[in-house]
Amino acid sequence: MPEHREAQAGYHRYHIPTRPAPDIEKWPSRFKVKVRRTGLAKLLLSEVFHYRGRKDVILSRPCMYGVFSGPVGGFMPREEHCVGCLRCTTEFPEFVRIEHNPERQKLGDSYFTFNYVDQIAYEASSGLVPVRGAGYRGKFGGEGWDGMWTDMSEIVRPTRDGIHGRETISTVVDIGYTPNFLQFDAAGQPTGSLPHYISIQLPILFEGGDLAREGHVARIYARTAAELDTLAVLPFDQAIGLGEYAHAVVPVVRPQDAPRLSQLGFAPRVVEMHGWDDALYTTITAAFPEAIIALRTGFEDAAALVGYARRGIKVFHLLADYHGRSQDGRFVLDLIREAHTAFVEAGIREEVTLLGSGGMIAAEHMPKAMICGLDAVAVDTPLLVALQARFNGECAGRDASHFSLPSNLNEAWGVQRLKNLAASWRDQLLEILGAMGLREVRRLRGEMGRAMFMKTLEADAFAGLLGYTEAN
Amino acid sequence: MADIAHKTDEQLIVEKHIANLHNGFAHWPRAEEAPPALGDSRWTQDLILATWLMAETGKPPENGLEYKIGASGGGFDVLDFNIPTEDKWLPADTEIDLSIPLNRRDDGAQLNINIPMYGGGMSYGSISEHVMQARARAAQHLGTFTSTGEGGYPPSLVLYKDHIITQVATGMFGVREETIQYAPIVEFKYAQGAKPGLGGHLLGDKATDVVAAMRESVPWVSLFSPFPFHSVYSVEDHRKHVDWIRTTNPRALVSVKVSTPTDVDMVAVGSYFAGAHIVHLDGSYGGTGAAPEIAKKNIAMPIEFAIPKVHKYLVSENVREEVTLMASGGVRTAYDVAKAIALGADGCVMGTAELIAIGCTRCSNCERGRGCPFGLTTTDPLLQQLMPADWGQQRIVNMYNAYAIQLRELLRKLGLRSIRELRGRRDLLKYVG
Repeated sequence: MPEHREAQAGYHRYHIPTRPAPDIEKWPSRFKVKVRRTGLAKLLLSEVFHYRGRKDVILSRPCMYGVFSGPVGGFMPREEHCVGCLRCTTEFPEFVRIEHNPERQKLGDSYFTFNYVDQIAYEASSGLVPVRGAGYRGKFGGEGWDGMWTDMSEIVRPTRDGIHGRETISTVVDIGYTPNFLQFDAAGQPTGSLPHYISIQLPILFEGGDLAREGHVARIYARTAAELDTLAVLPFDQAIGLGEYAHAVVPVVRPQDAPRLSQLGFAPRVVEMHGWDDALYTTITAAFPEAIIALRTGFEDAAALVGYARRGIKVFHLLADYHGRSQDGRFVLDLIREAHTAFVEAGIREEVTLLGSGGMIAAEHMPKAMICGLDAVAVDTPLLVALQARFNGECAGRDASHFSLPSNLNEAWGVQRLKNLAASWRDQLLEILGAMGLREVRRLRGEMGRAMFMKTLEADAFAGLLGYTEAN
Repeated sequence: MADIAHKTDEQLIVEKHIANLHNGFAHWPRAEEAPPALGDSRWTQDLILATWLMAETGKPPENGLEYKIGASGGGFDVLDFNIPTEDKWLPADTEIDLSIPLNRRDDGAQLNINIPMYGGGMSYGSISEHVMQARARAAQHLGTFTSTGEGGYPPSLVLYKDHIITQVATGMFGVREETIQYAPIVEFKYAQGAKPGLGGHLLGDKATDVVAAMRESVPWVSLFSPFPFHSVYSVEDHRKHVDWIRTTNPRALVSVKVSTPTDVDMVAVGSYFAGAHIVHLDGSYGGTGAAPEIAKKNIAMPIEFAIPKVHKYLVSENVREEVTLMASGGVRTAYDVAKAIALGADGCVMGTAELIAIGCTRCSNCERGRGCPFGLTTTDPLLQQLMPADWGQQRIVNMYNAYAIQLRELLRKLGLRSIRELRGRRDLLKYVG
């Protein structure tokens, strides 16, 4: 539909405006470029003689990216431009050497490795889908997310939806309660419980409940979430004063916050209760009668979650640590499946919303987590990386991790970085959905038939080979 | 010196860099230390350098470079051959046949290829015309094929048309009556492994005047080949596609290139019943052009898992002897080819290995700026001169010669006289993960 006709019809196609937002803090370059100056000087001298002073020929450099285009060329290479193509070292193996920069490789930690950091940095600065040539470069499979592939819809699948453009795929998700069915009285009026949910445009929430401890970070999260029509989960203290973004802010309320709920200054659409507490639940319900109350808790006990649902909680924000582990060491992929399955078996999966955080640090983790059973992902550490935070050592524990943000962090830049990240992840989600032939992301939830796991595939393919056992 | 005076700056610049590059391609495989930033888990330093060496010498490396497996920790890299004791080997002078048939049906031309491999589709625009020429000439020399990809059929390739597969994909770029009629084999690209379900995409920067003219489009505009064929939603629809090709060129064999979804076995059988002579499975870990990173790793299964699944299903449907199964997408070495065949393929389709033979370092910057700094995946007039077609042809021929030596030696040790005897021989494989 042409834009003016969409406007006339009161329809607005969802779109995230992206804009380049280059790094504000200089990070170490990806590569170190080492040039032996004597070798270079000898080469230049010999070429001056050989090419009879033909300047353009002599100064024709092997780098297309500007590494040797500074005032003194190869005598002072501009490493920040190096993309690691290796043409220079191929042409001049005797005196040019390209190495991975160990300082760059220190970014992140053992889980959020520098490859993920690089990817997030690109997404947040450009808003684009990372595209590269020459095929896949990584390990074959592995544990966790790396041992899972998503399906695609091939030519002759009779059940395919058909897809005529990624722009028509919906990424809207609902947060709240929807009854399995409605009941009506003799007069045709609905009785019993009614749907109580909100819709947001992205299956991506901003999780700052433990991380947005500083006011300006909380404001960046809230403003971005408001502009994107999603939600920012923030500590109660940081949520105070963010009334201008009321529809996007989800305060996390702990028991000690109960006496101060009126200080919030606005009526949030969703409130997160930090751990189950009867008295706190009553207090929050009384203070914010229209709000959807979510329970913020660990993944550990799926059966207990079903119990909380029976007591009135319909939204669960399930937390693993930043490396995707539960307290007993299990990985978030398995934990999500357990929680989802518990609700399915209880017959109430359609009534509840499952949000998850922890260990979901790349765009591809989002659709995989949804296939395993989440309705949406509340993104945590990638937001900080998008804001160029540095990890101070290993950052796994939610309370024990420390990140350093750039000293010159400013709101406008931060908002654009998070918008860019969200746009990039959404576009990548659309690629996954388009490949499957799905028209809306809500259909992805719990679609285990769309998943392929390495253990299963390998057993199917290699069972019976000498040396192969299921234990492999 | 006199030469220099009569040459333009551009000529001298190209000559200078070509000489330097060729020096480097020869130097590094023999150096004590490899370039530190070269290689990755799939294509290790050793695999890249060994491919350069094979492309130079035409023989397997003898200097200790690992040329059989990579370091990905799975798939082909955890498989090996269970070589019998020496007394069971065939004599060293045994004739070993590496040819395979591409048509196992009763209809159409009975085409054989001399080696169990042909070149995969790489489109004009995504690679240079020089690269296309090099691949086509090599295919002619080797008695096999190469594929146009979906970017048109440059007139310079017509000379080699008996060894060129015309690809038909959703953008229909370069698909004309004559390009169908040239082709001994027409390949329908329904999907590709590097970006399954996403279609093709030539970035605007690569759509130069010449490329755009070839694709009957306008310059500097990104060109999409959208997934899927909107005329094909069933086996019957696909059958209509096959009929359309057969009407235009009754001699042509039909190949169907598909990706590897969870129901890849049914896709393959459907393709067969729609009339395909060749089912070409393209696994998720290959790809030579630009693709979203999210697609490469995460969508569709690796080829190592798809081959046995499809082979077994074709056998169970009693049609295995009527269709040729080709595999691609992460097939890097002669040993990968042999493993793919032992898992159930008839042969393999090669892409990245050919590019590495002619100088690719797998830096993944194919789409950046002017394109490949080595002149391969570029349409930049200056850059593409860095890879002369005659040099490239010889490098590709040499690489396949080295592969052929390895395959013959392997088959001899396995006691097999023909590569066809290896197909589906899982009993000859062992798991070493």
